[in-house]
Amino acid sequence: MVFSFLKIPMFPYAIDGVDVSLIRWMLSLTPAQRLETLQDFVDAISEALEDSHAQLPGSSSNAG
Amino acid sequence: MRSFLAVLQTLADRGVEFIVVGGVAAVLRGAPISTFDVDIVHSTGPENLVRLLAALEDLDAWYRFQLERRLRPDVTHLSSPGHQLLMTRFGPVDLLGSIGKGRRYADLLPLAVEMEVSNKLRVRVLDLEAQIAVKEETGGEKDLAVLPVLRRTLEESRRLSPHKPQQ
Repeated sequence: MVFSFLKIPMFPYAIDGVDVSLIRWMLSLTPAQRLETLQDFVDAISEALEDSHAQLPGSSSNAG
Repeated sequence: MRSFLAVLQTLADRGVEFIVVGGVAAVLRGAPISTFDVDIVHSTGPENLVRLLAALEDLDAWYRFQLERRLRPDVTHLSSPGHQLLMTRFGPVDLLGSIGKGRRYADLLPLAVEMEVSNKLRVRVLDLEAQIAVKEETGGEKDLAVLPVLRRTLEESRRLSPHKPQQ
């Protein structure tokens, strides 16, 4: 008897180092959802950058 | 506010003929990559350039290489095959007169498919094969770096839907 889970590749990277599981997840979304995902990512990065700038010594938003 | 959708919506509202290329096109085709700007190749037909200029006014677009001078593109710039790297109120936008080895809007049109990017908006997006070909032609480090992800995404999308055009 062969268990089906034995056939599931546990290592998600292709030979070239690309994470195929991420690609499959993206392909499971609609184009609109993919764009939303990108927008969320960019927004999160921008927010984190603003926060880190605000915490720099001498920053006006850190003044007081 | 940075918004990919707002940029595309503004262009569409003005009736601009354009094809989404670059990182946003790759994401719309399912590639898990990131980007911070919207790249488009626009038609350089005279009527389209008028529509594009109106859209750029709505977007409050200016050249981002000298932000403080707030230089704005004109029809001459937009009709060239060169790249206009702009900042807008919705984030960076690159208007590309041509990509790869001189491929312009008319050359790319047969390689683009309309995709629904919101419930009110459909835009033309360059297909993955063409995106790969353009990056191979360009051959810059940034282009080459993303090629493995694009190639694998194309392979997976063909595996998932062998008889359907890419979605």
